Amino acid sequence: MNVITASNSRSGAAGWARRLGKALSTPFDPEDYLALFDPLQSAREVRARVVSVARESDQAVTLTLQPNRLWQGHRAGQHVLLGVEIDGVRQQRCFSLSSAPALPLPAGGTLTVTVKRQGRGGVSDYLVSRCREGDMLTLAEPAGDFVLPEAPPERLLMVTAGSGITPVHSIVKSLLASNFTGKVVWVHFERGYQDLILSESLARLRRDPRLDLRLVLTGDRPRDGDLSGRLDEHWLTDNVTAAAEHTVFTCGPSGFLDTVMAWHQHQGRAPLFHERFKAAPVVAGEGGQVRFARSGGEARAEAGVSLLEAAEQAGLKPKHGCRMGICHTCKCRVGKGRVRDLQSGESRELNGQEIRICIHAAEGDVELDL
Amino acid sequence: MNAKVDHFDPIVFERQGVALTRSQVETFGREIDALRAEIMADLGEKDARYIRGVVRAQKGMELAGRGLLFLGVLPPAWLAGTALLSVSKILENMEIGHNVMHAQWDWLGDPALDSSSYDWDNTCPAEQWKHSHNYMHHTFTNVVGKDRDVGYGIMRMSDEQRWNPAYLFQPAYNWVLASFFQWGVAFHDLEVERLLKGEKSFAEYREQRRKIMKKVRQQVGKDYLLFPLLAGPFAPWVLAGNLTANLVRNLWSYLIIFCGHFTEHAEMFSEAEIENETRGQWYLRQLLGSSNLEGGRIFHIMSGNLSHQIEHHLFPDMPSNRYKQVAPKVREIAERYGLHYNSGRLSRQFGTVLKRINRLALPSRRKGRAAA
Repeated sequence: MNVITASNSRSGAAGWARRLGKALSTPFDPEDYLALFDPLQSAREVRARVVSVARESDQAVTLTLQPNRLWQGHRAGQHVLLGVEIDGVRQQRCFSLSSAPALPLPAGGTLTVTVKRQGRGGVSDYLVSRCREGDMLTLAEPAGDFVLPEAPPERLLMVTAGSGITPVHSIVKSLLASNFTGKVVWVHFERGYQDLILSESLARLRRDPRLDLRLVLTGDRPRDGDLSGRLDEHWLTDNVTAAAEHTVFTCGPSGFLDTVMAWHQHQGRAPLFHERFKAAPVVAGEGGQVRFARSGGEARAEAGVSLLEAAEQAGLKPKHGCRMGICHTCKCRVGKGRVRDLQSGESRELNGQEIRICIHAAEGDVELDL
Repeated sequence: MNAKVDHFDPIVFERQGVALTRSQVETFGREIDALRAEIMADLGEKDARYIRGVVRAQKGMELAGRGLLFLGVLPPAWLAGTALLSVSKILENMEIGHNVMHAQWDWLGDPALDSSSYDWDNTCPAEQWKHSHNYMHHTFTNVVGKDRDVGYGIMRMSDEQRWNPAYLFQPAYNWVLASFFQWGVAFHDLEVERLLKGEKSFAEYREQRRKIMKKVRQQVGKDYLLFPLLAGPFAPWVLAGNLTANLVRNLWSYLIIFCGHFTEHAEMFSEAEIENETRGQWYLRQLLGSSNLEGGRIFHIMSGNLSHQIEHHLFPDMPSNRYKQVAPKVREIAERYGLHYNSGRLSRQFGTVLKRINRLALPSRRKGRAAA
């Protein structure tokens, strides 16, 4: 999924040099050799060096990353799959980019992600507690449609909570850096001051008269001008003048989003954009529904029936060999879902990884790249 | 079905004077499974550092070797350059390429070491290799008529293969195969004999040949055209160095691979024997069909750890740096079941391979064993 091929289409001397380099290093790429001297070099993935780690609080950091030349830029509000090596294994998780984008990023340019500890020992926790300047990370192409329309509306209402602040920070920052002539009302809900991330940057943005930023604390005593309270279905109508007339961008925990969307359904008269930080539901029990992303079919797979058999029963003919887990011919990407290894009995959550479908069974809903 | 326990425990495996019952084979299989689980659960940062270190060493030696060959007009530079390039080509094909394509390093999640995208410095395209090697050879190891590595379609390595007079010359053309091993590996995937028998369509054959020829053009273009041209007046030395390095890699990989399955006591199997084979029986066939080589740390790395051929065949997707650790435990289990653990020094093992090649050049004395 994160495979990017270096462009061969460039004309002129650079194009010829690239083709000669490729021919001399075949079946590898020149970057595989250059990586001996500069680990940022790669022909197949965006690698990024951590140039600084700024501590936002004891629970969050902002990482400034310098990507290699394969990085193609992002739009404000998008997220990126960030890969980090933990105990030798590449693990990936989605993070919103908090910096305002530059298209294209100038050579040596940087971008930032702000990461909050989740306390489950995963990628977020690793980045908050162990990531150091000089470390190498990987980035997959940025994705997400939580972005401003080409012509931004004149009246914007941002409603965020917790780490939902990061994509909106990127949107607001890039908006204010442009010749935007409208107004932005941004309401951010946070438990307490010590939980607030990106506070320095918020203080700078706040000086811009086009932005009306209101911090609402749910579990702390508010200081100069900040509010206290909790979001309910009336809060926006009661506290923001003509709230219903604004185009809404909202991001935060699931319950929070549900409240904003319920309010918008009844009151809103302008579009709403939202970004949900998903946690895949853990499905108990065995067997499950298999969706074949490429052929478009769907099938029920019983417990103990391999995904390969399930696909074959559904009339597909996946590539396979030994049917016993040794030859890896049947490897197939799982878009999303939980699978059980039929040999070890172990079950795990997948998101874009490849598995041998001859020895894995569905454990809940599974999407296969078949 | 009768819910009562079936006390009848038939003998399901008999070889080399050892007979094992169904429940014994099953227990044996579970013991091997447990070894695998123990190692796989322990993989981590140390293993990742190991393979990345090998890749760095290989790429570094290749750069240094190719650089020195540009000064190849000076004999010491030519010798050192050729030696470095030979070692790097061996490491790339054996400890890196072969093992990466076995998916030994897929767990790292690193696209540079992933079995689905890796291609090696060899004329055989990765995709075809993964079919003929990972699937055909590893699933049907030493099954005459199924495992095409048994003689690569041109040599008689088992009594079960029907003799014909061409085999009289195999003690000689064995060395031709050894010298051009990468070409033998690439073209044996075409399965010309299956095409002639009509078991394979011409369209499939033509498509495979197209892919092989594309890879051949890239490989030949790099080693025998571009690098010599780049050296200008020193082209002959660069060309000679590259030719030598490929020859050394061919001979070495041939040597290691033939010692893996064709030594004196390596067992061959028939297609009938593997019908309804259980996982335990499959393990037994891997154990008895493979043979190990003894040596030091560098020797094991240079052989791509195929010196632990038995362990590699039991656990083809276990990272190769772990075979050394698991080998004594496999040996202990084998000996407890009275099974032969075939292991010896390279010179002794290869001597028995040559003996087999010479013996099978002649028709078999034992009647009734020739396959129909």
